[in-house]
Formats: sequence, structure tokens, C-alpha cells
Amino acid sequence: MPEFGRTTLEMIVQDLQRPVILDESFERRVMVRVRRLYAEKKKGTRGWTAVGATIAHRPAWAALLAAGIVAITTAGVLKARPQHEAVTSGGPEPVKFVLVAPGAKSVAVVGDFNNWGLNESALVATSNQGVWSVTASVPVGVHRYAFVVNGKNWIADPTAPRSSGDDFGMPSSALVVEDSTK
Amino acid sequence: MTMRTTRNLILIAGFASMSVRATAQDPRLPARLDAPSIAAINALVDSAKAQGIPIAPLYDKMNEGMAAGADGPLIVAKVRGLSMDLASAHRALGALATADEIKAAAYAMHAGIPAVELGKLKKQSGLRRSLTLPFTVLADIVSRGVPVTTAANAIRSLVGAGAKDKDINDFQRNVKVDIEQGAPPAAAAETRAKSAAKPEKTDKPEQQNDL
Repeated sequence: MPEFGRTTLEMIVQDLQRPVILDESFERRVMVRVRRLYAEKKKGTRGWTAVGATIAHRPAWAALLAAGIVAITTAGVLKARPQHEAVTSGGPEPVKFVLVAPGAKSVAVVGDFNNWGLNESALVATSNQGVWSVTASVPVGVHRYAFVVNGKNWIADPTAPRSSGDDFGMPSSALVVEDSTK
Repeated sequence: MTMRTTRNLILIAGFASMSVRATAQDPRLPARLDAPSIAAINALVDSAKAQGIPIAPLYDKMNEGMAAGADGPLIVAKVRGLSMDLASAHRALGALATADEIKAAAYAMHAGIPAVELGKLKKQSGLRRSLTLPFTVLADIVSRGVPVTTAANAIRSLVGAGAKDKDINDFQRNVKVDIEQGAPPAAAAETRAKSAAKPEKTDKPEQQNDL
């Protein structure tokens, strides 16, 4: 087998071998449902021993019940299955953004970590003799950001790598935040 | 109504509500985006999920477009383009690439680096070495005029020599300064890569042979 194919196969096998971790509420949700069913059965005269008879008499309802349980289980597993971003992005790390802009009246930082400033989420920098800075907690990972000067002019960070995804005519910079615990 | 019928009705209602929840609009989609654009982005996100590629960058791109005041069709076009780059990057890097590596690779592809180059880098570096920063620096130096092949070779030599992210950051800064001071981009990248890939000097004094 060519080396590329073997490596890819190994990657897939390792990926499949990762344990599926259920979210904390999954067990509780299942147990609530089980207890409810148990309580209803207990109120009746026949109890759990009559489950076999119920399935025999009402196969359609039993099938529906089974489908419901399967759906709940599947939904729980899918919800708990780690997403790409959840697996790879660690906790936030403090990042200091600095821009030298002596003539500016205001400087803010927008990026994908604060929804590009939508809904008043821009980070407002403070000036110290024209050196504008703000420190923010940014999730571990790769980000794009820009400075907004005087509320309207988007500029890239001159000290950071350029970002190539300036699709809307606004320059931006790339930021890679590393996990300080590693 | 018997107890059993009530129980079954509750189950059906619960099952139906789960289905409704599964198809409800994602809260990250802003209300002010027009309905056709929202539908198009929903479809792109669903497709991305089905392919196992990260979806957060798609929402980030949408938010960026909204913040920039772009109209719906342009935002959808850019989200679609990014989705295609993410899918290509995912295929090129393999199943164990992290979301950040895929995102960085997609932006590197946007800068003009072919997916096959990124795949080679990933294969060379092994599974444990994160290439998020090398891909980011690769995109940066290409955007500064370094030819794609030269840039890819430079990053490959650095990663191959075991350079850490800090070394690659230093390399980017040095190449940037060299270019800003008038050096030809290709020469700047080649020279800086050669010097950065050399083994670090130790603090031990060199052995004197003429004692």
C-alpha cells in the first residue's frame, strides 16, 4: 500500500478510536425519563413484568417507544460528540493589542473573537500619549482581527502577520493564540 | 384516556419537539440578514457539518461581512468560498488535523498556496506538530510577495529542522522587515530560512584544538 494511503488509514483509525464522551446532563436526562416510566408503571397494577405482554398486544406503540428511546440516545450522543472546534480550542488567554496612533480620537479592536464588533462588542482601547492598547481574553486558536480608528477606519495591525481573508475590502491581521498550559 | 395512552402521547410530543429543535434556526444567524441569505448560509453550514469541517469560521465570515456592511448575496458568496477552501484543506490535511489547522490552511489557500503544498507540510511534520502558525506565516509572506514555492520551501525547511512557533514568528518578522527595507521578497525568505534552520549556538565555549 502506498505510504500516503497507509498514513491516512492510520489517521482514520486513530480518530475512530477516540472515546465518545457523553455530556454531563445525558445520564440525568435518561434517568429522569426512566424514572417517569417506572413511576407510571408502578401506579398501574401490572408493573414492569408486563412489558412483554404490552409489546405483544401493542406492537406499534412499543415500536414507537423504542424509536423514541433510540432518538433520545442518538441525540444525546450526537450532542456529546466532540466538535472540531470544541476539541482543539482551549480556554481564553490574555492578549494585549497595541497600536501607535498619535492622531487618533478613538481606537477599538474587532475580530472573530468578538463577532467583529457587532452589537457593541468591540474592545475599546485606551491611549497613553498616542499608544493605544487594550488587553482581552481571546480563545486559543487562530483568529483574524483589525483596529477600528475613529469609529470608521479599519486598519490591520502593522506588527502582526497579514490575514489573507480580506473578502470585504477591510484589511485584517492574523493572530495565533497558544495554550499557555501546554 | 388511559395512563398508557397519555404516556404515549407525551412520548410522541417529546419526539416531535426534538425534531423541531433540530431544524430550528441557529441563534448565531442575525435576524437582520435577509431570508434567502439566511437559508443559503444554513445550507452551507449543514453541508459543512456533514463533511466534518469546522463551521465556526463560516459564522465568523458572516459576522465579518455584516460588520463591514456587505449585502446578503456577497456575504453568502464569501461564506461559500471559505466553505470550499475549508473542505479542500480538510481533505489535504487528513482526518486528524485540528480545526485551527484547517482554518489556517484555508486562509493560506486563499492567499494562493495550493492545498497539495499544505498537505505535504502536514505529512512531513507528523501528527503532533501543530501547523497553525506555520500556515499563518506562510500566507503572510506570500502576501508580501514571496513566491509560493519559495515560501513553502522556507516553511518546510524550518518545520523540518524542528523550529518552534517562536522561531517561525521571528522568521516572519525578519522577512517582513527585510522586505520593508527593500530586499527582494524571495531572497529575504530564502536567507532568513537558512539562518533560522541552522542549529542554535550553545553557551559552551568552542573547543580549542591548538592547546
